[in-house]
Parts: sequence; structure tokens; C-alpha cells
Amino acid sequence: MKRFVRLLVTSRTYRQSTQHRPALREVDPANRLLAAQNPRRLDAEFVRDNALFVAGLLDLRLIGGPSARPYQPAGHYAALQFPDREYLNSEPDEQWRRGVYMHWQRTFLHPMLVNFDAPNRDECTAQRSASNTPQQALTLLNDPTFVEAARVFALRLLQGPAATDADRIDRAFVLAVGRAPAPADRERLLAFLQAQERHYAANPDDAKRFLAAGVHRAPEADALPAPALAAWTQLGRVRPRAAQRPGDHHPLLIRLIRRLPHPGQAARARPENSSLR
Amino acid sequence: MNFLTPEQINRRTFVTRSAYGLGGLAFALLAQRSLLGAVPAELPAEPGWRGALARPHFPVKARRIIYLCMAGGPSHLETFDYKPELARLDGQAFPESFTRGQQLAQLQNTVLKARGPIAPFSRHGQSGIEVCDLFPRIGSIADELCVVRSMKTEQINHDTAHAFMNTGSIIKGRPSMGSWLLYGLGAETENLPGFVVLTSKGRNGVQPVSARQWSSGVLPSRFQGIQFQSQGDAVHYIGNPEGVCQSTQRQVIEEIMRLNGSLADETRDPEIATRIAQYELAFKMQASVPELTDFQSESPAMLERYGVKEPGDGSFASNCLLARRLAERGVRMIQLYHRGWDHHDDIVGGMKEGAQAVDRATAALITDLKERGMLDDTLVLWGGEFGRTPMGQGTGRDHHILGFSLFMAGGGVRKGTVYGSTDELGYRAMENVVDVHDLHATLLALMGVDHLRLNTKFQGLDIRLTGVAGKVVRGLMA
Repeated sequence: MKRFVRLLVTSRTYRQSTQHRPALREVDPANRLLAAQNPRRLDAEFVRDNALFVAGLLDLRLIGGPSARPYQPAGHYAALQFPDREYLNSEPDEQWRRGVYMHWQRTFLHPMLVNFDAPNRDECTAQRSASNTPQQALTLLNDPTFVEAARVFALRLLQGPAATDADRIDRAFVLAVGRAPAPADRERLLAFLQAQERHYAANPDDAKRFLAAGVHRAPEADALPAPALAAWTQLGRVRPRAAQRPGDHHPLLIRLIRRLPHPGQAARARPENSSLR
Repeated sequence: MNFLTPEQINRRTFVTRSAYGLGGLAFALLAQRSLLGAVPAELPAEPGWRGALARPHFPVKARRIIYLCMAGGPSHLETFDYKPELARLDGQAFPESFTRGQQLAQLQNTVLKARGPIAPFSRHGQSGIEVCDLFPRIGSIADELCVVRSMKTEQINHDTAHAFMNTGSIIKGRPSMGSWLLYGLGAETENLPGFVVLTSKGRNGVQPVSARQWSSGVLPSRFQGIQFQSQGDAVHYIGNPEGVCQSTQRQVIEEIMRLNGSLADETRDPEIATRIAQYELAFKMQASVPELTDFQSESPAMLERYGVKEPGDGSFASNCLLARRLAERGVRMIQLYHRGWDHHDDIVGGMKEGAQAVDRATAALITDLKERGMLDDTLVLWGGEFGRTPMGQGTGRDHHILGFSLFMAGGGVRKGTVYGSTDELGYRAMENVVDVHDLHATLLALMGVDHLRLNTKFQGLDIRLTGVAGKVVRGLMA
């Protein structure tokens, strides 16, 4: 088996770039020959995982245990069509666990999961659909999970090694999509940032309410000027389509693969981890 | 007829675009607009998008359906099917000649006794249609109605019976009727989803309804019914985050669309063009949905007419008014579930309560549509997933599938008529029996669609709403 894997991963075919090349557009526009990877939309749980990971919020403990409950719109369960239930979101120690640990209300999922085609789990789903709907745009824009993640991402950028706003934008691109921005994009986003900062300097109440999303609290955030943090949070809400660069290595994926225990370790890891609960 | 799968559509768009280079971009986007509904911002505004059918098969009588789904299974014997013989037999043994060998739900292995209708009926209008006195306002519009007294279904439990009524099948993954209509005919609005679901519930006989009832199944998920919340925000995440005004929200969206735009240029992935369009639609919905659910423009007299106590209170009445507003804005399929008709016990109290919840609003919706000139091309359908037994069950009635009633109004139906009948005890549909597939075939025909020619490939077969059955019932059509 090891020899087979070596043969596979050292083969010329395997080591070819999966990037789309301009020439392919003419030769094989529909990519029938699979000369490049076709872009794929992330599945529902990973859309959230990705946003949290980019922000540095994602809780990567492999701990199992009772389900985590991300923020859910108030009154969502009013339409449950079943005996009444109450939903309380998890506190900070549990809030940012991975999507696989999310609470699933059978046949009545969290709206974020529904909007990104997570199945109801009342039957086996071999292949999820990958719709492309306005509800997804609304979720990424307005769901408090994503607003909070944008703010924590902003905090990460403002506290990070980058010295100038332009450097921070570069870093934001590398962290979020694994590449540097095009110069024109950098310029546009700098202008966007300044406009947002001016707006929030002029509307301090808006800044205060905007920065209150979610349960994440950090003293470092309070020390920063609110208009700047609000402006960078707005920049964090600018989420272009994910997984767009097939050749890029997704940072979350690499991190998760590194963390996966060897089969032999799994048995040892579980008892001590489960004591966390 | 040749229908395209979404993959083929994408590929076609892709090829078209590549073949024509930049000059073909607008054409490619148009093709995508018609097949996928992705509407790029730079194209001239033109309401709606086209479905898979290039043109209707039949003359279009109805452009939209408002389906008032009485979930739980209201009794036909206390709504539209008066049975004096059953009243005479009240309390006596139910004749075994009717029930021998028949499937029963909860009444299996019990002594079967007839239960007479719990309320009297009256004749209404010029048509003289008999309607139960519990529903005086629906009775008052009898001349608009096409009552079907000979419905029959195959499913005796709620979830499967709903699935059968919505999808023509109990197999999961079959598209709901609204999804079929959206897929086939497209939408008349770009500011709202084309298939909207609202729910309300009563106090008695409340049964769960699963979201799979409005699933698009094997059709692309963009054809699925979107459940609007009856209370609070109609659509989740429709409001900006706290502290974000419309203009700053717009700036964020423009940056997203711009970055996606450069990406679309590089990768030529048609999904990115769709994504850009969906952000635009999302932004439009952020304005159109609050406008839709803002009942300020409705006069107090209008609220009173529907019986809306508090706009947006989640009641059936409020949902009916919202349904009219959705219809006005070009939504193709509007489905209102009112849960509260599963009267195994206390059918006397339950029917009274159910009638109070829906009678006034149903009649108001139909007359309101008529006054606005919309009833001509809006089809209203009122009915449950099955009926109830003429045999009593304690103080109620059990599920019943062999005969039940529903009614239609507007959109090309033959008004002021009663179609079909059950036997003298209301047990079995006897004359002009209409099964669920026939109902579907007829509804599609009224929408201009031949049910035999609206299909999609799935697992190597062409599947359709009516499966391998269904016949158009001319007697229901004007």
C-alpha cells in the first residue's frame, strides 16, 4: 500500500498544477478532460468553519460531547411545527466549535445550514446539492456568527505584525484566500477602509452597536479606536466567493489534516480529551 | 421535449461564452438568465425570468396558485359534503358492507359507529352549493367556488399524505408542485422568491409539517419553497447587522461583487456570475421583504375584513393578507399551511375553532383578489391532505382517504359548481372520482402546462409531478 501511495503521489499526473490556464479555455472550455480542478462551493459546516478559522476563532479541539449551539435568529423555533422548544446559544467556551459539532434539529435545521444545503438527515444524502441563492448572501452578510468573525479577524489584523494598512490588507488576503491581492484591489479596499472609518467616526453609536455582535469579548479590542476596528470589521465582511483558487492549499484543511491523530493515537487521545466536558 | 439539467445549462453557458468571446458575454448571460435565473446587474431590468418551458403548452388560465393547505385533514362531512343519511344513522353501527377489508388508521379493530354531521348545512348563492354553517363566509362566496366532493388519496398518515398531495409521490426527493411550476414557468418577480410558504396553527388537532413538503427534491435547490416566518423577520438575516445602515451595507456588497467580478473574469466559472446576481437580489430583498410585510398601506377596514387582529401575528388571517401581497408582487406559488384539523377528539370544538380561524380570511382573500381583478389569473385551492371518517372515533373522527372534499376558485376553474360525489354515507368517492394525480394534472393544465411534458431526468428516467398517472379533469375547468 505504501508503495502504491508513493507511486501515486510522485507521479507526474498527480504533481501537475490544478490551476486553470488561459489556454485551456480554448481547448476545453467545459473542462471535460479535467486538466484543471473545477471550483467547488464549500459545504455548509465548512462555510462557517472557514470564516471562524480565518478569524482565528475556530475551536479545533477534537472533543465530541454535547452539541455546540451557534447563534440562531430569535424565534426561529416558533415555526418548528412541533412541540415548542427553546434555543440558547452556547457560551464562549463552546460557541466556536467546528460545524461537525453543531446541534442539528432534525427536519428543522439552523437557518445557516439550510441556506447552504445541509441535508435534513431524515434520509441518507450521498451528494449534497450546491445551490447559489440570495439567502446565502444574506447569511454571510448578516448572520451574527459572520459579523463577529469579521470583527475578530479585524482584531487579528490590527494586532498582527503588519505595520501599514496596505500590509494588513495583504495579510488579510493571505489569511483568507491564500494569495496576495491585485494592486487595484488593494487600492480600492484602502479607499473603502477610509470611507468606513470616516463613517464610524461620525456615527459613534453605530460603531458601538456594530462592534457588540456575538459573545466574544477582548480587552485588546476595547483599547482600539472604535472607528478603526469598525472599518476593519467592515472589510472583514467583504467575503468574495470562497475556494475560488483551485490550486491554493486551503489553510484550514492543512491545519485539520495536521491535527488528525494517527490511528494508534486515537484510542489514547479520547479519554483525556473527554474529561474536558 | 428536451430539458436541460443544471450541469448542461452551465456547460452551455460556458461554451456560448467562450465561443463568442467577450462579445458573446451578454448573450451568454441572457441564456443563463432564461435558464438559471441569474440576472447580472448590467442588463436592462426586465421583470422575472423564464423557466425550462420555452412557451406554455395550453392557454394560460392561471399565472399563480395560492394553496390554502388545511393541514391535519379537515372533515368533508362538516365542510362541503352534507350526508342526511349519515345524520339518520348517527350513533348506530356503521354498515359493514362499506368498511370490510378497508384500511383504517386508528379505528382498526374497534366497533364502528356512524357519526352524523355535527353542524347543519345551508344552500348558498345562485348555484345553491351546500356549505356547512360553520363556514358562513365561505358559503357567501359559493358562486365563486368549484367544490370537488369526490377526492381520493392513497396515503392515510399526515406526512406521507402531504408528500403525496405536494409531490405526487411518497418517495422523498420528489419536487413539490411549487418547485415544478417555478422550474417550468420561471418567475414573474426578481425581488422575491418565486415559491413562498407561510404557516399558522390553531389550538386543536395540530400536527407537525416537515419542510420537505416544499423541497425542490431532485430539481436544483433554487426552485425550493422559501418559508417566510409568520412572525418576526419574514426572511432570516434580512436585516443589516446592528450599526450598519443601508449605504454602508451597499458599499460592502459592492466590494464583494467587484472582487467576485475579477474572479469571474479569471476563472470563467458561471457560478460566480450567479453569485454576483444573488448578492444583488439579496440587497433588493433587504428592501422588498420589509416593504412586503409592512401592512401600513393596508387600511383598518382591510385588516378587519381579513380578521387580522395584529398584522404579522402569525395568524392564518395575517398570512392570507400577506398571500395577497405576495400574489400582487408576482410570486408564482404561495402555500399557506394552517395546522389544526386533526380532530381525533372533540371534533365539535375543533371544527368550530378551525372554522373561526380560516372562514373569514379565506372568503376575504377570494373577494379581495376578485375586486382587484386578480382572481381571473390567480388560482386559490383550499383543502387538506385527506378527509375524516364518517365513523366516530371517541368524540372525533379518524383519518379517511377514500373520499373527501376540497375547493378551487379563480384562475380558469368552473365556478359555482360541485364536481363529483361520495356515497350516501360520505365514505367513498363514487361519481367522477378525482385522485391526487388528476388534481395535479388539472392544476398544471390551468397554468398552461401539459403534465406529460414537464419533466426532469433523474436516475435515467424522466420524472414528473404526476408520475405515470393523472388525467386532466375538464369538468373542473371553465
